[in-house]
Amino acid sequence: MAGVLSERKPFLLLLALLTFNLVLMSSSDRGHGRRSVLEEGLLVLSSPFLKSASWVSQGMVGLWRTYVDLRGVEEENRRLRAQVDSLGEEARRGIEARLEAGRLRETLDLKSALEYRTVTGHVIARDDPSGARVLLLDRGSNDGIAADQPIITPRGIVGRVITAAPGVAKVQTILDPNSGVAAIVQRTRAQGVVVGEGDRACRMDYVTDLASVEVGDVVITSGLDQIYPKGYIVGVVTAVGEGQGLTKLVRLKPEVDFKKLEEVLVLLKPSSPSSGEIP
Amino acid sequence: MRIVRGAAAVGVACLLQLLLLRYLPEIGKRCDLFTVVVVYYGLTSPASAAMLMGSAAGLVQDSLLHVVLGMNGFKKTLIGYLAGSIGSLFMLNQPLPRFALLFIVTILDPLADLGLSSVVGQSFIFPETWVVLQRGLGTGVVGLLAFWAAARLSARR
Repeated sequence: MAGVLSERKPFLLLLALLTFNLVLMSSSDRGHGRRSVLEEGLLVLSSPFLKSASWVSQGMVGLWRTYVDLRGVEEENRRLRAQVDSLGEEARRGIEARLEAGRLRETLDLKSALEYRTVTGHVIARDDPSGARVLLLDRGSNDGIAADQPIITPRGIVGRVITAAPGVAKVQTILDPNSGVAAIVQRTRAQGVVVGEGDRACRMDYVTDLASVEVGDVVITSGLDQIYPKGYIVGVVTAVGEGQGLTKLVRLKPEVDFKKLEEVLVLLKPSSPSSGEIP
Repeated sequence: MRIVRGAAAVGVACLLQLLLLRYLPEIGKRCDLFTVVVVYYGLTSPASAAMLMGSAAGLVQDSLLHVVLGMNGFKKTLIGYLAGSIGSLFMLNQPLPRFALLFIVTILDPLADLGLSSVVGQSFIFPETWVVLQRGLGTGVVGLLAFWAAARLSARR
């Protein structure tokens, strides 16, 4: 009997389980939707898995939202960067306009103080980027500009016009070794000729050995060369030494920064043959 | 230990089924992970263990689906018995016979539902044939993947 039961154990178990489930089904059906104690127990048992599923779901939703938020932040970051670039460009333009306005105001002040007619010109080219011996201006003969007219800025003289064509003028600066400016030391009135040495420097020749010249003295135009009017600053003495013969060797640093030069005034001197009304 | 593993397997099946239904409903509707677990136990354990597992898994499924309690328990008990009996008679360690077993028990599921519903006086709408076939195919494919993963885990241990 025991052997038979052992052989039929799975089958008996099947019958028992099926009967159990059938009983459950019939009792559930009579409950009209109300959950039985067993069903509730099963729910309690499976609740950890339900909670896990919910937790995983929420985690995935959270991850997705974080991802979407990050995408939004990235987009906003890109937009703000573009805005910063745009504002930076505007600020740069504003600074540039302010600086230009300042320079033009200085030029205008100088212009109103001058006794000659003037034309404002912009430097459009240089002989080479490292030097400034020759400049090109955007004004020319049709603006009344002619050869040998002086070019100045509020800080001092720049040079003279050597060629004027319609719409453009070539200027020889005082840095050019072939240039010469009759000048005097403002403090002692010692006279000489300022000659260019290139590379932003000048020297004053023909200063007598007896003249008193010191470092820091201001050198101005004397007007004796008939090109530059008297009284405009040429530069400041940076070194004084012994020259050839009975002269001193005087080195100057021009007041004008030629490499940063942008706006200049051309003096339309009455003596200039081509000077005339500004169109 | 076997009981703990069985409970864990049912729990994981329950969790995955819920997640599939929520995030990949097209896959979740086309596979029955509880059936996969019961068949796996039928093929790898004695028939009595498979039946107990089937009954437990079916009851959990009933409690989750809010259908008549015992309906899935009844069906899964039968599946456990069938899988355990067939597994003890034949060598079902190849993918194709296993797939066939999963496919057959899945497509027989609506028939069992129909019969049981009539027994308890519930109305039952028989699903369309292609839906039943899709569910059989889906359960078969997912079951093979699960069997492969379980074999890999067992081999590591």
